[in-house]
Amino acid sequence: MAEATHESVISPRARNALVRLLRVAYPHPRFPDGPYERTADAVINQVEASLWHRLALTRGLESLDDAAGGDFAALDDEAALSLLRGIEDAGFFAFIRGVAVVSLYDDHETWELLGYEGASYEQGGYLDRGFNDLDWLPSPRIEEYAGPDQLVEVATDDEIAATEGSHR
Amino acid sequence: MNADERTVQLGQPVGHDEEVVVIVGSGAGGGTVAHELTARGIRCVVLEAGPYLKPEDYENDEWAAFNQMAWLDNRTASGPYRLARDFPNLPAWIVKAVGGSTTHWSGATPRFREYEFRARSYYGGLEGANLLDWPITLTDLAPYYDRAEIAIGSTHRHGRPPLPANNNYKVFANGAEKVGYKFYATGPYGTNAEPYDGRPASIQDGFNFQGDKHTSKWSTAVREIPRAIATGKCELRPGSQAVQVTHDASGRVDAVLYLDEDGNLHRQAAKVVCVAGNSIETPRLLLMSASALHPDGLANSSGQVGRNYMRHTTGSVYARFEQPVHMYRGETMAGIIADEARLDSSRGFLGGYYMETLALGPAFLAAFVEPGSWGPQFTTILDGYDHTAGMWIVGEDMPQESNRVTLNPAVQDQWGLPAPDVHFQDHPNDVAMREHGYSRADLLYEAVGALGTHHTPPYPATHNLGTCRMSERPEDGVLDKWGQAHDVPGLFVSDGSVMTTGAAANPTLTIVALAIRQAEHIAETLGSGS
Repeated sequence: MAEATHESVISPRARNALVRLLRVAYPHPRFPDGPYERTADAVINQVEASLWHRLALTRGLESLDDAAGGDFAALDDEAALSLLRGIEDAGFFAFIRGVAVVSLYDDHETWELLGYEGASYEQGGYLDRGFNDLDWLPSPRIEEYAGPDQLVEVATDDEIAATEGSHR
Repeated sequence: MNADERTVQLGQPVGHDEEVVVIVGSGAGGGTVAHELTARGIRCVVLEAGPYLKPEDYENDEWAAFNQMAWLDNRTASGPYRLARDFPNLPAWIVKAVGGSTTHWSGATPRFREYEFRARSYYGGLEGANLLDWPITLTDLAPYYDRAEIAIGSTHRHGRPPLPANNNYKVFANGAEKVGYKFYATGPYGTNAEPYDGRPASIQDGFNFQGDKHTSKWSTAVREIPRAIATGKCELRPGSQAVQVTHDASGRVDAVLYLDEDGNLHRQAAKVVCVAGNSIETPRLLLMSASALHPDGLANSSGQVGRNYMRHTTGSVYARFEQPVHMYRGETMAGIIADEARLDSSRGFLGGYYMETLALGPAFLAAFVEPGSWGPQFTTILDGYDHTAGMWIVGEDMPQESNRVTLNPAVQDQWGLPAPDVHFQDHPNDVAMREHGYSRADLLYEAVGALGTHHTPPYPATHNLGTCRMSERPEDGVLDKWGQAHDVPGLFVSDGSVMTTGAAANPTLTIVALAIRQAEHIAETLGSGS
């Protein structure tokens, strides 16, 4: 029953608008569609648990076309971004962002695209895989400072004798 | 699990009617007290609200680990600070598991400075701050700092070698040198650079905040708790949510009431109770333990239980570079600059702060770098991910009476117990310090060629302090200089709640040092029969 309702309310057209919305709200030119598609599905899966979110998302996505004067998915990047800025406080858009900021950046393809390598322990950590391979700066000291200077813990003017009687 | 396996895992069973030392919480404070007392032959029961996660259970995945171990029971954040808007149900990021927040602590172990134990004397009557000198000094604590560093295996201390420089540290330390800082190093840091104390050297696998699968990082889950169990004097009861600490007609503590995993209520008799549930759960438990003798909450005749909540003045700075950094590789916080950790009011604020390397994965960076942000400005930060270096600013925040943990009458946890509310507002001194830290971090990163920096607001608090502070006089605070309640014999607090003021340093080392000192005192008191 719930599934039938979901099928009927999140139409392919609405899902398409959602994917487009995500790409405009979180623009990464080098990303393919995969991470955005999976994020859209994560948003849709989340609304199944809540009648209110389901209704709000459905209505919100449908009305994007109205706000776009026909077809939100057909707007260019600048026009679509401008439209989204105008509805920043809309509940359905805030809900989408709340799910998207977690899902999009928890996606393993996203990690790869951003240059993040994910789990490391099973591969022996980074001890032999580049934990210190940065070569555009000199190798810094790792020991504590052993020179002649002492860290002055309390400035002269802040010594208790110097501040006695004063009320900050 | 059969009876033998259970004994190996969780220790010799202790009868519910046997009056023992009952310790609530198994983190830096509770785990240390359990280890110290059982090593002296004193029988203990450790009640831990979370599960017993083992290194093989830990996840190399930020959200998976968060959902596995973070304390996610109902809580509320209130007050004008930004966190209350961005994360209204997550005032703190702490761990609910055996080992407590030592499971996900980063590892930085600076000591508090002499002047920081005397904040009232040095800072004077700063308006809006509820300052007080500690009832102990650095001299009192110094021998226990030694023992804590040896227990933790802090690098750069007691013959322990430094960790090597990882990529994030190379950027950080070169920038430090360029702006004239001197007091930087890869520690002191509670993770083995070489095998020590039966645990291996770091393999630079990152994921410090997710539990160390390799066990190179010290935690009470890999050291103090197993050792306490091995004495045969300790029973660990995971999945046990403390509900009330009770007292007898004379006012002395006599038991802890707690719920097991199925919600059944139990009573464990106690001759001494050590509460170490971190600075939100500890005052919550005392407030839930109100009685006719203690109508405002147990040990609250001063009215200070839950007050003076501190979370350290924090902020992060992420800097983008032309060349790759890969900040996530290696030990996350093995980089500390101490040059700003001093008192010099000519900077425009009192107290000091540390700068420490910090790295998040894309998942957490997206969630926390600028909460609520979206659009091209936001994605630019993420697009620079592998060319980004990061640091954390962590400094002393001012205790304020109105920053406090209370019971929220409108919200309950999964057991029907009142949820804690954490109310917080920055003191102007906190704001001035944070801005100073941001500007110094910018200079540091610009000195090594940063293309741009981003100032990230404070995360859900990992350093929660001060809600049951120690004081010389009973009317000024909750606990005496041993961490024992001024007004409830036998009741001790053993975590960061005891801190009279917060100092600049990461608190774990000091919590451990105070817990060793407290356990010694408890053992002496019990030994003499008083």
